[in-house]
Amino acid sequence: MHERSLLESLLRQVEEIRQAHAGGVVEEIRMEVGPLAGVEPLLMQSAFAEAVAYGRLADATLVIDEVPLTAVCPACGVVEVMPVRIACPGCGETQLALCGGDELRLRSVTIRGTRVQEQPA
Amino acid sequence: MNRQTIMVDRDLLAEPRRRAAELRADFTRRGILVLNILSSPGAGKTTLLQAIARHWQGRRRMAVLVGDIATDRDARRLAPFIPAVQLTTGGACHLELPLVERGLAQLGDLDLEFLFIENVGNLVCPASHDLGEHLRVLVLSTTEGDDKPAKYPKAFRTSHLLVINKTDLLPYVPFSLESALADARSIQPQLPAFAVSAESGAGITDWCAELESRRNELLANGDVFSPRR
Repeated sequence: MHERSLLESLLRQVEEIRQAHAGGVVEEIRMEVGPLAGVEPLLMQSAFAEAVAYGRLADATLVIDEVPLTAVCPACGVVEVMPVRIACPGCGETQLALCGGDELRLRSVTIRGTRVQEQPA
Repeated sequence: MNRQTIMVDRDLLAEPRRRAAELRADFTRRGILVLNILSSPGAGKTTLLQAIARHWQGRRRMAVLVGDIATDRDARRLAPFIPAVQLTTGGACHLELPLVERGLAQLGDLDLEFLFIENVGNLVCPASHDLGEHLRVLVLSTTEGDDKPAKYPKAFRTSHLLVINKTDLLPYVPFSLESALADARSIQPQLPAFAVSAESGAGITDWCAELESRRNELLANGDVFSPRR
């Protein structure tokens, strides 16, 4: 898969955030991954461990929260669906508009030792 | 020592999506219909492109960016007929935007009607990368078995058109067109499908007519083919 190229983008953004908060040590990076993001959390974790092994983020933890796949069913509204054969669990409708579950979000970064206290806008 | 959690909530896929959308808008402005061709290795992507070039006989202006892990064999197969640039990924299992952009620069400022991006043979990773195409085409060949759609749902769900290739081999292989279609349509109910043999030329006339009608749609209405999730 493409965990490595996504990891590059993740680490670049984490570093930007770290610098914007006057340095400090990154303790935890929290992400959300949907079942259709094309990312396997286990592979993402091992690519992360490899990438940060000897650097500034060596002690940081990557937390990956897996979010459900959701779709809009014309009859039942927003429903949670299974990734393979996407159908409404209520009525079986297969013409659904996916509304969540293909995202890969950076949710938060926890930094220790920063001098700046205020939250970004 | 103080500690703070900074809430960011950024979609890491947003930036590549935005760049792909920009590229697509540029293709639309130039009137070029761009197709991203996905399949397993050996399903006949290059042979299909040769068949299209043979059918059009230069009546339509087309070019190909062809992705491969190694070698420029596919580009050399295509180059006698149409402008073709090889994108060698050096091991990567799919194409990403920067490779496509480099290929476009190599292709130069051609006045095109159709641009085909032949992806690396792989039904998994290419399905997760928008290359700025208008339409994603999935080529499934009869020698692969009719059980592929359910095994690679993302590729089938995100494609706009399905081509079933190697129909000339149907008498010799355990492949049912009906089951393959039923399987594909259990994932995407309205998926248009074209049965062809790129080798014999069967079905190529209809397939090329479809490509021309899709381009006319693009010219008439702008980009109406949104990327599928």
